Amino acid sequence: MNVTQILFWFLSVLALFGALMVVTSKNPVHSVLWLIATFFSISGHYILLNAQFLAIVNIIVYAGAIMVLFLFVIMLMNLNKTTEPKKNRWLKLAGGVAGGCLLLVFIAALKSSEITQQTAEVKTGDIGLIKNLGRELFSTYVVPFEISSILFLSAMVGAVVIGKKE
Amino acid sequence: MWSFSHIANEMHEGLSATFNPTMTLIIEMVIAGVAVIGLFAGLGLVLVIMERKVSAWMQIRLGPNRVGPKGMLQSLADTLKLIVKEGLTPNGADKFLFNLAPFIAMIVAMLLMAPIAFARDFQLWDLNIGVLYVSAVSSIMVISILMAGWASNNKYSLMGAMRSGAQIVSYELSAGLSILAIVVLTGSLSLSDIIHSQADGWWIFKGHIPVLIAFVTFIIAVTAETNRAPFDLAEAESELTAGFHTEYSGMKFALFFLAEYVNVFIVCAIGATLFLGGWMPFHIGNWQGFNHVMDYIPSSLWFFGKTFFLIFVIMWFRWTFPRLRIDQLLNLEWKYLLPISMFNLLLVTLMAIMGWHF
Amino acid sequence: MNALILSAVLGVIMMFSGVMLKQKSAVRNIAITGLFLLLVVNILEMSGMSFFRINTAGMMHFDRFSLLFNCIVFFSTFVYLLLSARDIEKTGNYYAEYFTLIFFILCGVILVSSFQSLLILFLGIEIISIPLYILTGSDKKNLKSNEASLKYFLLGAFSTGLMLMGIALIYGSVGSFSTAQINMTEKPGALMIAGMILLLFSMSFKVSAAPFHFWTPDVYDGAPTVFTSFMATIVKVAAFIAFIRLFGEAFGNLQPQWQIWIALITAATLFIGNITAVFQQSVKRMLAYSSIAQAGFMLLSLYAMNADAKEGLLLYSAAYSLATIGIFAVLIKMNDYTFDGFNGLAKYQPLLAATTTIFLLSLAGIPLTAGFISKFYMLKAAVATGRHLWLVIFAVLMAAVSVYYYFRVIQAMYFKEGQPGIITTSPVFKYTLVVLAALIIILGIFPNLLLNWYYF
Repeated sequence: MNVTQILFWFLSVLALFGALMVVTSKNPVHSVLWLIATFFSISGHYILLNAQFLAIVNIIVYAGAIMVLFLFVIMLMNLNKTTEPKKNRWLKLAGGVAGGCLLLVFIAALKSSEITQQTAEVKTGDIGLIKNLGRELFSTYVVPFEISSILFLSAMVGAVVIGKKE
Repeated sequence: MWSFSHIANEMHEGLSATFNPTMTLIIEMVIAGVAVIGLFAGLGLVLVIMERKVSAWMQIRLGPNRVGPKGMLQSLADTLKLIVKEGLTPNGADKFLFNLAPFIAMIVAMLLMAPIAFARDFQLWDLNIGVLYVSAVSSIMVISILMAGWASNNKYSLMGAMRSGAQIVSYELSAGLSILAIVVLTGSLSLSDIIHSQADGWWIFKGHIPVLIAFVTFIIAVTAETNRAPFDLAEAESELTAGFHTEYSGMKFALFFLAEYVNVFIVCAIGATLFLGGWMPFHIGNWQGFNHVMDYIPSSLWFFGKTFFLIFVIMWFRWTFPRLRIDQLLNLEWKYLLPISMFNLLLVTLMAIMGWHF
Repeated sequence: MNALILSAVLGVIMMFSGVMLKQKSAVRNIAITGLFLLLVVNILEMSGMSFFRINTAGMMHFDRFSLLFNCIVFFSTFVYLLLSARDIEKTGNYYAEYFTLIFFILCGVILVSSFQSLLILFLGIEIISIPLYILTGSDKKNLKSNEASLKYFLLGAFSTGLMLMGIALIYGSVGSFSTAQINMTEKPGALMIAGMILLLFSMSFKVSAAPFHFWTPDVYDGAPTVFTSFMATIVKVAAFIAFIRLFGEAFGNLQPQWQIWIALITAATLFIGNITAVFQQSVKRMLAYSSIAQAGFMLLSLYAMNADAKEGLLLYSAAYSLATIGIFAVLIKMNDYTFDGFNGLAKYQPLLAATTTIFLLSLAGIPLTAGFISKFYMLKAAVATGRHLWLVIFAVLMAAVSVYYYFRVIQAMYFKEGQPGIITTSPVFKYTLVVLAALIIILGIFPNLLLNWYYF
């Protein structure tokens, strides 16, 4: 096992463990912090795939901005174990069964797909570098890129409409 | 010419001669880590005494003058006091997060050291997106502050953390936009490329007024990002006792304190790198003679000189401006700085496309 | 492309008009004029006059189907604004912003009607959804509106998540976002099927097909009535266009695999929509369930997926949108949304009652109305597939059930005594209603007036 493989397994275990802790933590603040840890390990995976730009943007956008706002809101609302609503046991069971089925389907699909025979381009792929990404974004994908500005504009207008005092 | 790069090269050659490449890399990493920690401690000591002396000078008083010559060892004595002091953990606190927070603050500050070029050819990690790396990692800082504030289970701490969160998240935008101005001019995100692009003059001189505006917004934004006066609402002592670190004592408090000063150093180093050429000596266009004379001053001196000048400016702010209210603070960012820096970025882009800079 | 760019620009113009202009009527007139312009440039593009040459790298394709559909949407929105623009202004202080959001939604509609790439589909669905969450919650002082907005947002975000997951799986197995590429896959792997099913679920959510319909009654009921009208008509048919394009163009070759699923969803939707609508006491809530029931009929086109189905969907979207917009426009003017609120409307407002009757008849699918002919097209398309005839019979049965609850309103208006509280209406409102009713009857007799545009 070389260094890359060790890193890969370490990051994968961390990501999965973090994701599990997000769901199972009783305290919402802990959940968010675990989610941040998960994002970091995913960023680590990006770096292993030589997609440094994606890794950094993942950290800036998710860990640095969105999760901070999450933390902000949860901390202000002062949610803790006592305010956690009691859920119906049957509902929990149903949720567990449904989620488990989805997991089963995904695993089965993944097992039967041809992806298992392909290997990841570790350290050699260069599509995640900022230069190539930028070129793709502004040539092939320029139309969706520009259109997404409408999406953001509408979200901004919406935020103002909802947020401003009457 | 005396330079860091020689030392680094000789060390590398010496190690390579005796060990295999993997061992060399590991040993070099250990050395770099120790050096960073050493730099940390050194910086903490220097910056604290500098702050106290500068404030004393601004207020026409003497400042610390008992320990050591002219009180220069005062911060060493303070450190000793903090080390022997008991680190209390409040009963109602979330123990794990409470103890974790100062370390995260510290780790973030240390990570930020990685891409900074201290001297010619002296950089821990020259990654191709250095500038983005800096803004990404520095945005993690706020998580440690929120963690500390929430885990303390104290309303002042929580208030301080909330203020700090709002402040850092908003000021990150204009800091990022003013950094982008330089990125647009250079066409690269790598810090070493940015420094090399200033071989014929620093951006602040080459880039006309738009870069000056970017520089000013950058300085304002980073002052806010490091929670320093006049933007120190996160720890406004007259309102919130000490903000997010109210409950911290002993070494844990010291770590926050140290991280704050190191952050000041780092943002000033970034500012110096982007706008004032980093280790690049003061060059004017292609005046070969003049440039050669300037090259005789070691590059590390240039770097530290510029950085400490900026640190001095930020300290100057602290003792000059009164603290803002939280609504004023957010107004300043969202209604003035952000639109200005956005418009400025447009101007810079136009300038870069038309080639109007020198 | 004309309409896409113009509607984005109009959205921005509306945004600024709210700041610049102090008169509400000026803002309203700009919006109505803007929509008229939109309709005109879209018709120009249909006749081959495209003002912009933009290389979309094969991600969008403006064929006659999508352009004609856009025409229907713009015309419906135009009518909607003529009827209800004043009521939009009454919802809150940000009247200009509401128009802005409506124009942005139209952008999204254009995207989902002409996408050739899943990327554009996702963007379009999002551009439609996000302004809708806001419009649902625009009556900020009303708790029900807030609740509806939050519910819609949470469930909508969840279904968007499913959609993204599906797109990711498909991209993982095909390596492309292009619908044509996806359709060309020789042996679809399990990953692609899983992705397709996720897309099926999320699109079913967007068109509120059972069993993904739970959000619909609450959201439609809680939202301000003007915006319910918009949501239940224009947005819903746009989601259907996206649905039919997606499954026709990306998964057309997999039809044998998903057809039975769509058939089951269709049957469930028809059943739940119609049966639950029978038990409603509020006309607004009844219309919410009726929209589910109508979605069931529109799903038949997806099930059939042939030439008749496409024509039928165009006709259905026109008939359904126009009729529902008309009913909602009258409903907004009522003080009382229950069935009893309509008691005796015919006596005091004979014109409103008569037009409402025509709209209701059209929704119920009574001959000579557009609703009948569009339902007929749907059933014809479903029969043409030659399989699952039970579905057609079931649909006809359910259409018969729907007559009950639509006629309850007519009965209340004509055969019950009462004094309906109604807000005064302007002459323009009445004329528009009359024109709308006339249009529905004309479409019902000469459906080719619309469908000819598809071919010529």
